[in-house]
Amino acid sequence: MSNEVRFPVLSSDQASEGLVATWFVADGESVKTGQLIAEVQVDKVSAEVQAPTAGVIRIIAGAQATVKQEALIAVIE
Amino acid sequence: MTVTEKEASPAIRRLTTSKAMVEGIAQEMERDPSVFVLGEDVGAYGGIFSSTTGLLERFGPSRVMDTPISETAFIGLATGAATEGMRPIVELMFVDFFGVAMDQIYNHMAKIHFESGGNVKVPLVLMTAVGGGYSDGAQHSQCLWGTFAHLPGMKVVVPSSPADAKGLMIAAIRDDNPVVYMFHKGIMGLPWMAPNPRALAPVPEEAYEVPIGSAAVVRQGNDVTIATLSLSVHHSLDVAEELSAEGIECEVIDLRTLVPLDRATILSSVAKTGRLLVVDEDYQSFGLSGELAAIVTETDPRLLKAPFLRVAVPDVPIPYSRPLEYAVLPTKTRIAAAVRKLVG
Repeated sequence: MSNEVRFPVLSSDQASEGLVATWFVADGESVKTGQLIAEVQVDKVSAEVQAPTAGVIRIIAGAQATVKQEALIAVIE
Repeated sequence: MTVTEKEASPAIRRLTTSKAMVEGIAQEMERDPSVFVLGEDVGAYGGIFSSTTGLLERFGPSRVMDTPISETAFIGLATGAATEGMRPIVELMFVDFFGVAMDQIYNHMAKIHFESGGNVKVPLVLMTAVGGGYSDGAQHSQCLWGTFAHLPGMKVVVPSSPADAKGLMIAAIRDDNPVVYMFHKGIMGLPWMAPNPRALAPVPEEAYEVPIGSAAVVRQGNDVTIATLSLSVHHSLDVAEELSAEGIECEVIDLRTLVPLDRATILSSVAKTGRLLVVDEDYQSFGLSGELAAIVTETDPRLLKAPFLRVAVPDVPIPYSRPLEYAVLPTKTRIAAAVRKLVG
C-alpha cells in the first residue's frame, strides 16, 4: 500500500488546478486506514480523501494550497 | 529531533459542520426507520449546502426524497407524515423561501399539537440555511430566526459548532415537537465558501444529544457579556481574543437554542459582568436583541452597569453589493467597537 497521498483526478482537463480545501487532521497526527483526512476541490466539484494506509501523516500541501491534480499532498510514515 | 517531536499526536476525529450534521442524520436513520429526509436537491445533489451529502446513496430514494419546487406541498407532506408517526426531516433550501409556505409552518405544523388538545404530535425537523456574507442578495441572505422564535409552537435551534450541529440535530430528530433547525452557510466548512477555521472541530463518533434549551458559555470573562448565536459566535470569539490583549475580558454565550431560551445562563452572566452586548445577524427591530434586553430589565434593571448595546442588521434588506452587505452585517469591527463603548 502506497504511503503517498495524491490529489485525486477530478477533471479530465489536466490544466485544471485543485484546491486543498480542508485538512481534517493536523501534521504529525496518527491516522487510520480509510480515515477521512482531507476535502479537495476542482472547478467547484469537491471530493473526500481517505488515508491509504495507517501511520503518522506529514502534510505537504497545506489548507487552501492550490496544486496540480495528482500532486503529492501528504505522506504517511 | 527530540523524542517528543518524533512521537505522533494521537488521532483526533475532526469534522466540518456539514459533515457533522450529516453524520447525526445518518445515525438516527440507522437507528429509527421512521426517520426520512425530503426537500429540494437533498438527494443526488446532497443539499446545496451539503446538509444531506451521501444520504441518498446510503439509504435509497424511499428515505431521501427530492421534491418539486413547491414548499407548501412538501412541508405539508412532512407535517402529515409526522402526525401519522413518521419523523421527517424536511429541508427548506433557504429560510428566505418560508413566505410561500408559512401557512403550513405556523398554522399547521406549529399548532396541530395545541389544537388537538395534545393528542396529536408533530415530530418534525424543518432544517433550513440562513445567513449572508457571500453576495447572494436580499432574498437569499436573511437569518429570520427571530420570526420563527416569535411564533408559538416551534422549537428553534441554531448551532454554531460542528459538535453542537450534530448533537442538536439528533436532539431535534428525537424531539416530539416540531423543531426549526437553522444552519448558517458560513459555519458549514464548505470548500467553496470563505474558509472558516472554527467550522472544523473534534466531533464524537457516537450518537449523542445536545439538550435543546441549553446555552453554552464558550468563553469566560468578567467585563462584558456577549450573547450571540451562529456565525456571530465565531466573530465574537475572534474579537474577544483580540480585546483580551488590551485587558478587556469578554464572556461569550452561544445561545444555541432560541426556543426554549436559556434565560438563566444569560442572567447569571450579566449579573457577573454588568454589561450586555447582543450580536445578532437578524434584523434589529422587534427581534432577539430587544427580547434579551427585556429579559434582563424585567428581572432586575440594576443588573446593568452600562446601557444595553446591540449589533444587529439595521432594518434594511441585505444588499447584494459586497461593501454594502458588509456595512450591515455584524462584523468583527462593529462588535469590537461596541465592546469598547461598553467598557469605556
